[in-house]
Amino acid sequence: MWRLNAVRHKAGRQGSDLEEFKFKRREHEKELRRARKDSQLVSKRLLLNDDEEEDGTMDTLASDQVLGPCITTTVRDDDSSQQPSREAHQLLIEQPNSIAILVTNLCGPNPQCRLEAARCLHELSHSPHSEVDSLRLRQATPYLITFLSGQSPKFTELCLYTLGNMCPDSENVRDMLLAQGIIPALNNCIQIHRTNLAVVEAVGFTLSQLISANYVTERIIPAVLASGLIPRLLSVLTPDSQFGLGPVIECAWCLHYLACSNVDNGALVAQGTLLHCTSLLVTLGVAVAKGSIEEGIELLIWPLLRCVGNLLLSGPLGALQPQLNDSRLLAALCAFPQAFLQTHPALARESVWVLNNLTDSSVFCSALFYLNLVPALIQLLPFSHGINIMVLRVLGNIAHQGREYCLHLAQAGLLPALCATLKMADTEVVTFSLEVLGQLMASDPQLAEEFVKQSGLPVLEAIQYSNQETIRLRATHLLEHHLLPHCPVRTMP
Amino acid sequence: MLQPGLIQLLTASDLADLRIDAIPKLQVGFRPGSFFSSFRSQDGEAKLTFIPQQILLNKDHELFEDGDIHRHLYLQNLSTCPAHDSPTARQCEFRCYISGCSQVFSTVEDYEHHYNTLHRHVCSSCQRSLPSARLLDIHIQEWHDSLFSILAERQDMYQCLVEGCGSKFRTREQRKDHVIKIHKYPSDFMFDKVKRIKNIKIAKNNMLQKGTSMEVSMSVSEPEGVCEVLSDQPEEEEYMEINHSLEPGILDPASNPINTVELSTDHDTAPILSVTIQPTTNQQRPQHNRERHSYRVPRTVCFGQGSVQGFRGHGRRI
Repeated sequence: MWRLNAVRHKAGRQGSDLEEFKFKRREHEKELRRARKDSQLVSKRLLLNDDEEEDGTMDTLASDQVLGPCITTTVRDDDSSQQPSREAHQLLIEQPNSIAILVTNLCGPNPQCRLEAARCLHELSHSPHSEVDSLRLRQATPYLITFLSGQSPKFTELCLYTLGNMCPDSENVRDMLLAQGIIPALNNCIQIHRTNLAVVEAVGFTLSQLISANYVTERIIPAVLASGLIPRLLSVLTPDSQFGLGPVIECAWCLHYLACSNVDNGALVAQGTLLHCTSLLVTLGVAVAKGSIEEGIELLIWPLLRCVGNLLLSGPLGALQPQLNDSRLLAALCAFPQAFLQTHPALARESVWVLNNLTDSSVFCSALFYLNLVPALIQLLPFSHGINIMVLRVLGNIAHQGREYCLHLAQAGLLPALCATLKMADTEVVTFSLEVLGQLMASDPQLAEEFVKQSGLPVLEAIQYSNQETIRLRATHLLEHHLLPHCPVRTMP
Repeated sequence: MLQPGLIQLLTASDLADLRIDAIPKLQVGFRPGSFFSSFRSQDGEAKLTFIPQQILLNKDHELFEDGDIHRHLYLQNLSTCPAHDSPTARQCEFRCYISGCSQVFSTVEDYEHHYNTLHRHVCSSCQRSLPSARLLDIHIQEWHDSLFSILAERQDMYQCLVEGCGSKFRTREQRKDHVIKIHKYPSDFMFDKVKRIKNIKIAKNNMLQKGTSMEVSMSVSEPEGVCEVLSDQPEEEEYMEINHSLEPGILDPASNPINTVELSTDHDTAPILSVTIQPTTNQQRPQHNRERHSYRVPRTVCFGQGSVQGFRGHGRRI
């Protein structure tokens, strides 16, 4: 992935600033989390100029250029900060007709000028300064959109990233882009440039920016679903070992945003989304099993899990089964938590979430036993971050299928594991544990005996003295209904 | 990292055939629904409410937060970093669920040690924890049984503490002498005025939990209000308000004026080998004055139908 390479390159050069880099990253992460809580999480990408990359001398963005007789050159910053100078962009924006002039050059006869103008607009679109907002750039958008159907990859890429940076800015901007035909243009573009993976990545990025914004479910997403983009996105889902994961990652995130909006997941499934995503997940599971965990692979696994997880609700599981017929999917869903537990526990949790959505059917529960995958799940029970709660849900789903399933669960060692989870600090974990235990004991009295043998009685009795009503009531219920013969209760007169 | 079974499943080449529809479905003998419905009708109200449920998550769901942050760090070219700062999976902590005891432990063993030391064989009347079921019975008999003091006037009621001995004595002092002379107990054993040293040792063992302070005062001080916790807390359903505090003073059940409110007449001795468990309030001292005389009949009666008297130890006699 050339973008990640660029970053690493930079980090290497600034060896002594590594701590500072990490500190900044942590701070940045906190900002991102705050932004997400406000539903304001947006990012923009800046395409580094190829020349600058080769030189290795430039980190910053502004380029020298002469655009026309009326515009002075922008200033080139030589300091190491990544922020473009306010003056440079402000200067440009405040010039009268500056955007108009850029646009003139954009459509002009000189290819080099076109490229430079596009570059300039791209940098402006990435500008963090509030004076440079997308509405001011809107004169350029019809042209940018038109050029998406052009033939020059480098130019097209710039146009794409410019548009992509503008998408999150406001609903007005998105409406405007929609009206100007951005979706058919993207469709065309990905078709024309399907062999150029850099452009494909750019299309994916732009589309993801468009559909991940707020308030897009009414018009934008239906338009995307109807546009014929889906099959093209799906065809990208085979990672190219040379180019890297960039394009696949972007397309996968697009599919995730489409699926989680729940506008018409039936259509997504009908076009083969579930099939492609699950088979890519299996491929990634195989890679993980072989130990070849490529850098950034989690960026791909994440959206695929989410897409599959949400698409599983698009219809009864029985109807979806033909698309889910590879049982290695279950193995992959159990492998990801094991592989990523320490590095990305949230990914482990989402993997188990997909299993929860799958185990609403006896077919998949049977398969889990057949493939002997349940012990791997039970081993996840000690872990917090919501992992154990999700695992308990899966186990509850399995137990709910019936007596034989409960017996198999007990054989897999669930009862001692529950004795431990019943002592955990998180009340929700204890509640779910009591529910699962209740199902086990209700299905067969020998499981109740087994539980007593595991010294489970004192644990339940202890819970009776908790000040949390939910678990107190359940513990009492279990003691009274299933464990009564084992525990002589002395009632005082 | 990955278990061999999983690796094999995923990497074996002839498994392209492992289709879900080729896997035999586990057959069920009878429908689970019938069981649950019968339980619900018994109670009049469902206590166990779990049913399988698929979960749809929209893009802003909190479960998606970490993944989104990772994605955006990547977009902003900040995702590579030699040393990871991202959250790692934590093992869940364990908590003691006895109401009022809010201690948390990092391993099951620590929790179980805590529980077995402090919550087993607890007298429901005065919250004292005794080391064994037998001593608990003796304690209850001698301190909380109204009949005991009456009978003790006329017959030998004080049992020897040593199991299997069977001897009984008319007074506590006689028992104490017996135990010292015949059973070779040290004379400073915790019969009457409980010595600090002994208590500290036991309490120190009890307190080997994470994060608890070990301030043990060496002076013989007024005992804390052992029983006041009961009258103060509003949670009637729990007869056992076992609260934990490891503040100074908890170790001393000696010279316990609280005993004045108990029903036995002999008040200058302390219960045997007991550890007093204090309420986790910040106002220990002012409280006990207030509550000293608000204690009432031991709540060994009427705490709901059919509730388990687990801490009497009878359940474990099997």
